[in-house]
Amino acid sequence: MLPNFAYSRPRKLTDAVAHLADAKNGRVHAGGTDLIGCLRDGIFKADTLVSISGLTDLHGIEETGDGGLRIGALATITQVADHPLVKERYAGLAQGASEVASPQLRNQGTIGGNLCQKPRCWYYRGEFHCLRKGGGACFAAEGDNTFHCLFGSDDVCHITHPSDTAPNLAALNATVHITGPEGKRTVAADAFHMPPSVDVQAETVLRPGEIVTAVTLPPPPKGLRSSYRKVRARRSWDFALAGVALALQFDGDTVRNGRVFLSGAAPVPWRSQPVEKAIIGKKLDDATIKKAAKASVEGAMPLAKNGYKIGLFQGAVAEELTKIAAG
Amino acid sequence: MTTEKDIYYTKDIPVPETPPPGEEPAPWKRTRIIGKRVPRVDGYERVSGTAVYPSDVILPNMIHGAILRCPHPHAMVKKVDISKAEKMPGVRAVITGDSPEADLMWPYSGEVRTKLFDPHCRFEGETVAAVAADTPYQAWDAVRAIKVSYDVKKHLVDETEALTSEVSIHEGGNKVGVQTHHRGDVEKGFAAADAVVAASYRSACEIHTPIELHGCVANWDGGALTLWESTQGVYSVQSGVAEVLGMPLSKVRVIGHYMGGAFGSKLQAGKYTIIAALLARKTARPVKLFLSREETYLAVGNRPPANMTLKAGVKKDGTLTALDFTCTGASGAYPAGGTALVDWLIRDLYACPNVRTECTDVYINAGPARPFRAPGHPQASWALEQMMDALAEKIGMDPVAIRLKNVPDISQGRDRPYTTTGLRECIAKGAEAFGWETARKAAEEHNRNGGPIKRGVGMGSCVWFVGGGGPPSTVVIKLFSDGSVNLNMGASDIGTGTKTVMALVAAEELGVKPEVIQIENADTGTTQYATPSGGSKTVPTEAPTVRNAAIAVKQELLKMAARELDAEVSDLRFDADDILSSKDSSQKVNIKDLSELKKRGVVMGVGYRGPNPENKSVNPFAAQFCEVEVNTHTGEVEILRFLGTNESGRVMDRLTFDCQVLGGITMGIGFGMTEWRALDHGQTGKMLNKNWHDYKLPTALDVPMDMTSVPIEMPDPEANNTGAKGLGEPVTIPTAGAIANAVYHATGIRMTDTPINPITLNRKFAEKEG
Repeated sequence: MLPNFAYSRPRKLTDAVAHLADAKNGRVHAGGTDLIGCLRDGIFKADTLVSISGLTDLHGIEETGDGGLRIGALATITQVADHPLVKERYAGLAQGASEVASPQLRNQGTIGGNLCQKPRCWYYRGEFHCLRKGGGACFAAEGDNTFHCLFGSDDVCHITHPSDTAPNLAALNATVHITGPEGKRTVAADAFHMPPSVDVQAETVLRPGEIVTAVTLPPPPKGLRSSYRKVRARRSWDFALAGVALALQFDGDTVRNGRVFLSGAAPVPWRSQPVEKAIIGKKLDDATIKKAAKASVEGAMPLAKNGYKIGLFQGAVAEELTKIAAG
Repeated sequence: MTTEKDIYYTKDIPVPETPPPGEEPAPWKRTRIIGKRVPRVDGYERVSGTAVYPSDVILPNMIHGAILRCPHPHAMVKKVDISKAEKMPGVRAVITGDSPEADLMWPYSGEVRTKLFDPHCRFEGETVAAVAADTPYQAWDAVRAIKVSYDVKKHLVDETEALTSEVSIHEGGNKVGVQTHHRGDVEKGFAAADAVVAASYRSACEIHTPIELHGCVANWDGGALTLWESTQGVYSVQSGVAEVLGMPLSKVRVIGHYMGGAFGSKLQAGKYTIIAALLARKTARPVKLFLSREETYLAVGNRPPANMTLKAGVKKDGTLTALDFTCTGASGAYPAGGTALVDWLIRDLYACPNVRTECTDVYINAGPARPFRAPGHPQASWALEQMMDALAEKIGMDPVAIRLKNVPDISQGRDRPYTTTGLRECIAKGAEAFGWETARKAAEEHNRNGGPIKRGVGMGSCVWFVGGGGPPSTVVIKLFSDGSVNLNMGASDIGTGTKTVMALVAAEELGVKPEVIQIENADTGTTQYATPSGGSKTVPTEAPTVRNAAIAVKQELLKMAARELDAEVSDLRFDADDILSSKDSSQKVNIKDLSELKKRGVVMGVGYRGPNPENKSVNPFAAQFCEVEVNTHTGEVEILRFLGTNESGRVMDRLTFDCQVLGGITMGIGFGMTEWRALDHGQTGKMLNKNWHDYKLPTALDVPMDMTSVPIEMPDPEANNTGAKGLGEPVTIPTAGAIANAVYHATGIRMTDTPINPITLNRKFAEKEG
């Protein structure tokens, strides 16, 4: 049922990178919650699996010297959701993590895997040879696109990015740390995911042989309030129909600065600059919130069956802004 | 460990009187164990994992089967190339439509039979070939290595297009059949009404998807076949397999001691059963063949979609004057009851002299339907309960009051009396226990404050089509020389607690404790004939049979005691494990001291299920009440609480009773809020959500913490000698309609189509805003 593959569990990061770089179709095995399903369903090929569970440096969550936070790529979603510093300083990330999947999956899945997971489009995951799998067409464009995107498809691929942690990391200005055959590099969390117009077969900017090793968060700026709101078709074990990640710096009642990312909206965590524009420099009164809610769907390109998201995003954004304004 | 002296209850509660042979026993006046909260007799085995389900069976030399299925909703198989698959490691057999041993006819229905591997594949998931290999992985690899050329045909997956489509799934068109019912004069009824409401409703196709997959282990011993099958009825599988393979019943043994759920989708043998048997015969090895989860979504049944219209007339006082109902449903690719029983609630539940129903069953290129917990009923309930509320609103009446106004005196659908009916009590006592009026007012008060969270309260009620059970059934009870008991019955326990309830019946009648009763069940080789467990008939069928078997044991013991004591049988009675004379209390013998019993080692009693009452209908009734909160920003619905009242005659085990009620509500929440089959209409016609993520079953968070079961206990002396009626299906009928009514109460939005979720609610919000 699974393809035949070579499996290694190196102790050193350099070995892991080397194994991966040598493989024709190498895949990283961390929590495996997404990988095993993809292999079983034949979503992609894999001739080599490199387990990174033996790389002890990739575990752990700790404060950095500058007062920020480093989350090892192998930190489980549960560890992120429950960590006192995450909860205290980056509440939106803790909420996002706690809304992922189900308790079993949160215990097994990792933050690195959550960032690198494959989309959940039912055409991509089914027996449909779609663009993302190297085929000729996006089946969602004319098919059942109930769960598909409002933004950013570029008329190429209409997935929504499934991660609940990524929009929060992006909103919180996190940095993704990567090691590969060429050495180390960092990418801003908001630039980590790949728009389909650039490469429809990739979800991230990772190059062959590269491994996510950690995510770092800058020290929380003064007046930071962050939160995440997720709406789904059922109340657990489900991806976002619509979600909103807020990381706003308040000065008294006024939003001094802020970043707003939507989930369930686009093939990548979707920065909503119209919402940011509507609220920055403003007090979050009813009129501002109403305007911001409207702005959240500015430029949206609804498909035949996902038009409900227009109202849903406005509702979710309005509700979350109201809540964050209250402190 | 139970020690010998613990076998019997204490002597202060009498053992029920033993009627003379040939006489019906009197109803139990007082029960010592029936009706109590008794945990499952096999709870430890089920929870600890020691229970061996058919999917757990491992036999020496066992190999594994897998089925290649058509990936297209409509196609002709042109060529099947197995040359590569046959040579793969571990592969021991490959069978296709060209294999002589597979040249068998499969009965899709009474009338329609096709080849086991029919080249005309009328639904995605139809069988094309099968493999047996040493490991399941090798079997699946080989399945994937089989090359099939298909001539892909135009498909039809939307039942509303079936009668106008250019695609003809069977010769003679896409209409399976039309059923109608008329009584009174509907036009006159509408003319006499003070208010008339008409609406369209749709309930989406729902998939059974039980925890244990469909399948079996097949093993041949010479010309005899043994099957360990996950099934609701071992005898049904036996006769199905014997028919298809042309074997005597005696040569097909089917065993299904434990099974992990079915909801109606395992009432019969599957194609997979036959395929497993063929592979086992060809390889001379035991073959295990369990479907993948994906296959079960495609090929082993569903609750068909229902497209309904309902027009109803009502007088100002709430009296119904007319009901006019139509439904288009889909059997799928073969005749399978696409509209079976879908008009029954319209015909039977509420008093109405003028009723017209017309149900049209059509073919589509999708897996055939199968009975699904209360076939037809949740669909009709979805329409009817919303209509009752709409009528009530129109005439300014309370939803509970309008239903109480229309409680019928007889079963109108059959034009004969019910033995007993607790419909009125279910509605009235349920409303009281729920705090209906207070909750309705509180919700309306809450909603006047203008916040985005709206509250609503709704209800619905139901009757279930059958639920009285009936013959045939045979049960054997053996009492050993130490007074302990073996209960032998053919019925399957499909997770409902059948074994537990039957142990209680035997315990009640014999005076023993249920834990000393050993149960053997669901094995055509060693247990007695029973019909499949379904239709909410297992308790009312098997419980009286068990009671009769226990009485037969007691009659035999009394005869032994009469000989031992030189007394008349009619003078003897039981007092725990003693038999004594009513005339002379010194005349007494302990059961364990009966010399005949010691010599024989066992007393055997055979019980048969007697006939049902003539010219009366035995039915269970229910009502459900719920309170919801709707977030009008997001369309999220939170169910705050649910209360279910059920009149199923006598309560046999309060714990399994409550489990049924809570489980039924949970399933109803899925039907109303989370579940729908998505077919790729307009493109490939394939099913898009054939897995447990995309096909959304309710999770623990979708079900309220606050769920209450309120039994309306009315032992039914005419139904059978235990007074119990069925329960397993009425518990899930009114749930979805009650939720829809609560959502309407909260928002003023009629959710005429399932499911109610943020997707569909936001669509309605957008419509409302224009």
